[in-house]
This record gives sequence, C-alpha cells and structure tokens, in this order.
Amino acid sequence: MRPSIRTGLIGAASAAALAAFTLPAISDDGVIRIGVTLRMISENGLKYGALTKDELEAVNASGGINGHKVQVILMDDECKPDKGVANANRLIFNDKVHIIIGSTCSSVSLPLVDVTAKEQVPEIIPQSTNTAITQKGSAWVFRTSVSERFYAAIHAKWLAENAGKKVAYLTTNDAQGVSFAKAYKDYMKKTYNADPAIETQMQETDVDARSHLLKIKSASPDVLAIGGQQDAIARIMQQALEVGIPSRVRRVAASAASNAPVPELAGDAVKGLIFAAAFSCKDTRPNAQEFVKMVKTKYGVACPDHDFSQSYDTVQLVKLALKTAKLKLTDDSLKEDRLAIRDALAGIKDFQGLASGPINFCADPTPQCRDGNRTGILVEYTKGGKDYDTNVLARVSFEPDFGL
Amino acid sequence: MPSPDDQTRHRLSNLVRGASPWLVAAVVLALLPYMLRNSYHQYILNVVLINVILAIGLNIVKGFAGQITLGHIALAAIGAYTSAVLSATFGFSFWLALPASIAVTALAGAIVGIPSFRLEGAYLALATLGLAESVRIIISGTDALGGAVGFQNIPPPFFGGVPIDDYRSYYYIVMPIALLAVYLALSILQSDAGRSFKAIREDSLAAAASGINVRKYKTFAFVLSAAYAGCAGSLQAHMSPGFLNPDNYTIAEMITLQLMVVAGGLGNVWGGIIGAVLVTIFDVFTREFYLYRMIIFGSAGVLLVIFLPRGVGGLVQDHFVRRRFKDIREAKRAGPEGVNGAA
Repeated sequence: MRPSIRTGLIGAASAAALAAFTLPAISDDGVIRIGVTLRMISENGLKYGALTKDELEAVNASGGINGHKVQVILMDDECKPDKGVANANRLIFNDKVHIIIGSTCSSVSLPLVDVTAKEQVPEIIPQSTNTAITQKGSAWVFRTSVSERFYAAIHAKWLAENAGKKVAYLTTNDAQGVSFAKAYKDYMKKTYNADPAIETQMQETDVDARSHLLKIKSASPDVLAIGGQQDAIARIMQQALEVGIPSRVRRVAASAASNAPVPELAGDAVKGLIFAAAFSCKDTRPNAQEFVKMVKTKYGVACPDHDFSQSYDTVQLVKLALKTAKLKLTDDSLKEDRLAIRDALAGIKDFQGLASGPINFCADPTPQCRDGNRTGILVEYTKGGKDYDTNVLARVSFEPDFGL
Repeated sequence: MPSPDDQTRHRLSNLVRGASPWLVAAVVLALLPYMLRNSYHQYILNVVLINVILAIGLNIVKGFAGQITLGHIALAAIGAYTSAVLSATFGFSFWLALPASIAVTALAGAIVGIPSFRLEGAYLALATLGLAESVRIIISGTDALGGAVGFQNIPPPFFGGVPIDDYRSYYYIVMPIALLAVYLALSILQSDAGRSFKAIREDSLAAAASGINVRKYKTFAFVLSAAYAGCAGSLQAHMSPGFLNPDNYTIAEMITLQLMVVAGGLGNVWGGIIGAVLVTIFDVFTREFYLYRMIIFGSAGVLLVIFLPRGVGGLVQDHFVRRRFKDIREAKRAGPEGVNGAA
C-alpha cells in the first residue's frame, strides 16, 4: 500500500510540475480578457473580488461588449507584493489579458505599476490610496480610489477647525497605517506648523494597545489619529474607551475604518470615530441606493463600504473604455488593443458613478491626470454594532494639483 | 605498481567523470529557457532557482548540522535589503552588492549561531524565530528601508552597460549561481566540515568527545547557511520589478521554506532542490484556487509528512540503496567472482 501512495504522490507532483510549464497560454480570438488581482484573504475581500467578476461577466448575458465576450481571470494576491507581481506576470504573459484591475493594497499596487508600465498593459487601481502610485510616471496606470493626498486634507482641515491641532498618532506598522499618519502629519506641519503631540507605533498583530493609549492619555491631545487595518482600528477604539480617553478627544482613523467589521467589532465604542472615504451607504442618490440594495441582496452586506463602491465604479469605467476602444482582439493585435484601451480610459471625462464626485482621467502620465476621483467625504459613526449607523459631516472636492 | 602514464590517465578519467554531470546539467539548464512557453514560466523558473539556493542553505544548518532554526527567512531579508540599499542608495553595482550582501548576511549568520552554543531544539527554534520577527519589524519601522510600504526602484544588474531586466536574461545570472551553490554545498558536505556537521547532528556530546570543535562547526554551519540566504535575498531584490517589502519575510514564508526542506528531504542536498522545485510550483498552481489554497497546501504538507517522512529525496535515496543491495544479492547468487565484481 505504502509504495503505491508514495508513487501516487510523486506522480501527481511531477504531473503538476510538467503541466506548469507546458499548459498552453490562453489565446481565444475575439474574447476580451480581464485580469483581476486583489487582496481576498478576508470575507469582504472575497466579496470585492466576486462583485468585480460578476459585474464584468454580466455583460456576456446580453451579448458582451460590442459583440465580444468578456473573460475574467480573478486571482488573490494576499496583500503580498511578490504574489501580486507573480499574478501580474501570469495575467500578462500567460493569459494575455487586455487590462489588469488591481490591487487592494498599496504595497502590491506599487510594484504592479512598474510591471504594467514595462509590459505596456493598462492597469486600473480600484482601492489602493498611496500617493506615490500615480507619481511613478506610468502612462499605463489609472486610479479609481481617492489618493491619500486628498484624504489627509479632508479630515485634517475639519479636525483642526472643529477639534484642535494637538494630534496624537497611534499606528500599526502596515503600509496603510504608516501612510495615513504620514499624510496627516505632513498636512498639519505644512498648513498649521503643528508637530505631533505624541506618536507611537505598534505591530499589526498586537492585540493590546493599552500602554500606548495610556501614554497618549497623559499627553491630553485634541485628536487621536489611528492608522491601521480594520481589526486594529476596532481594537484601539475599544481600548481607548477602557483606558478612559475622554470623548472630547476626537478619534480619526484611516479609510479602513469604513469597512463594516470596524463598527461591528468595536460596538458602541466606535461612536464618534470619523474617517475620510469615497462613498457612504447613506448616499441618497438613486444609483447609490440601488447599489446598496444590490449588494445587500447578492452579497449579504447591509451597508457596503467604499471598497465595494470603488470596485463597482472601476468595473463601470473598464466597461466604458472597452466599449469606446476599437478592438481587433486577435493574437497579433494584443499590443494595439492594450493601447486602445489605455487611450479610451484616458479619454473618460466627468464619469458619474458611486463616487461622491465625478471621475476624470486624461492622457498625461501624472497624478493630476491619473488620480481620477478627487472627491472625498468625511463620515462619522453615530452607532456601533451590527446595525451601525453613520453621518456624513463634509464633502470636499479638490483641484488636480492639490497635495503635490 | 601503475605507471605514471596510467596514474595520469586515471586522474583525467576521474576528472571527466566528476565534471561531466555538471557540464551536462549546465548545458541542459542553459537551453531550458528556450523550451518555455512565455516570460511567466521564465519568471517562475527564476523564483524556483532562488528558492533552491534558500532551501539548500536551510538544509545545511538544519538537515546536516541538526540545528532547528526558524530565522532563515530573516537572513534572506538581510541579504535582500543590504543589496537594495547598497545599489539603490549608495550606487553600488549588482556585482559588488551581491558579494557584499553575502558577507553581511554571513556575519549576521554568525550572530544568529551564538544562541546555538547554549540552546537546542525548541529553545533554539524560539530564539531564532524571535530574531526573524525582530528583523521584519525593524525593516517595517525604518524609513530608510522603505518601511511598511516597501523599498522601491532597486536597479537591475548591468552587463556591459546593458540592463538585465527581463526574466530570461536574469536567468543567466541566477542559474550559474544556483549551480555553483549546489556544487559548493555538495563539496563542503563531503569534506571534513560536512562530516563534522553530521556528527554534531547525531550527538554533539559524542562529537565533542571525538575531538570536533562543536562551537566552531555550529558557527560555520550558520555562517554558510546565512551566506546562501544572503545570496538568494540579493537575487530576489534585483529581479524585476526591483521591489522589496517586509511582508514577504513573515512566518508564513518561513513555514513555506521549511516545507521545501521537509518535502525534499532533510539532510540531503538534492532534497533541498527537489523540495524547492515542488513547493514553488505547487504554490503557483494552487494560487488560482484561492478559496481552497490553504487547505490544499496544508493537506499536502500533512500527507507528505505521514507518507514520506524523509521527503522525496529520502525516497530516491532508498531506491538507490535498495538497488545496491539487490545488485549485491544477485552477485552473491552468481558466485564468489560475482561478489568480488559487485564489491
């Protein structure tokens, strides 16, 4: 028995190894191939991926785009740059995709920009916020999500005017937490010449922030700025209440605070937390309410956060570009088709989607042209738990040059 | 008594016999990129070879010297970031940054090896795990190293002023280095040092009693293993798109690396190679099935440990041992002349 199982194991492994290098590359003529690489190691991450795939493939039911079927290749990059790069290489060279959508994490999108620029493949970023992404000068990258350079100004200005300029920073050492704090600090220094009251950092996986919070409490700040991912934000909000940081100290967090697990995990401790985002499920526009209803029905999320809306907007932008671009869709025309899609994306003006303002792209490979969404909203949690509630405090649109 | 001519002929014949497998391997590997379908497969091949270097390094300290370390991935990070800083910040060429990063990592390896003088087994594993996490955390919090966002714009190697930034050209840097790494590992492990490693692995007290300087050889195993990790790290750093992030050096990556060594076979150079190839390709294959990937990966690991406790390398070794015994048995049956012949 043992030898046969061993032989089987080795046989399977060898077959896998052989197939990895000999499987033919996809090259169906007449099909539009779209590669998607996102962080899908969380429940919501899987839903963002599913929404993107479902919305893109939905066009096949009505005959496709300009008569061409759409094929979506969806991959998980786990928020790891090497996996993101491997996915992009596979999508570009093996699957010969016409466009790439991705990624969620800035630390993945940053190297992806270099890969797509070198191989001349259009890329549209649905969720990453790091300012540097569009500053790399790639002519092939577009961003639907709001850049960190805009977000920082939204909450920083409002808080400076409504709470104070004495800010305590507590961040986890992940890319989002760090870039949130940096953008906020830079804005406060540049605009008000205000230095941090106190700044401290913890590990992404640390579960006890109380020692940091007690230190912050003793500094009596006006604002507690929390940078990190959703679970860290929820934990810190709860523990801030436990250590007795008074509610007059306004809490502000990175855009990950908009994700549903934050109010659900933190409960009523989340009350008063503010964050900048691209979308609110309380948006009264008919298309927004229709979207909220669709997400609730199909994906079981009552109040979709802005990562859902940004995924949806990204899909609509891609569909629009594919409809406008004159595609030949043969093996030989791949390069030409990619260029046509890029130019079609660059030509999109005043797109009215779920974002709180219009999305505009243009041809120059600059942040002014490629950070398409320049409108953010400031949202406050008014109730925690499963049936959490929010309130929109402000809506701000920026000039393309802002923050550069 | 053989004549001087016979001796020369014998030496030459030994040299040809010893070098020919390497020459064949070099020719086959040199032609391999032309058999691949596209640049993605070329990219995977480069990753496989870098992982081979990493796995051989880990096998030296773990499989041969018997030191349980969980800090190998941190050494790769040290090599990668050293190379990145030297080339991107200080303008060193890849050809200088590579040996420098190997030297720096080897030094770090010596430091990692110090706890092994007093600690063994799970305690040493814990100490090295602590070091691995510390390195990652320090990188995450250091702006000069790109912090949590990552280190960008690491230049590719240049050869005669031409950037080697496509995966096929880069392969011709990675492949000879990997081949050299395998050759060096085999040579060292067949030397006095290799035998000392094995003696320490089996019983460090008995090894010391037989005159082996246990501290010296433990340190040497860590230094050697770290040099491999540093080399692999540097090669990772300079491969397109030239981007490093501390998230690529976490415990998850360390477990994957351990799996390579276990799947291939502990204490076996070829095991490290087989393991690196299998696990890397398995990782690539299962990525598409992201919902079930971790279950598939975990189950494969458990099945391997149950049914192939000595890894694929151990199975291959068993096969050769069995064949040898079979030959001896058949020779015995054939009579006294056959026995002499078989011996």
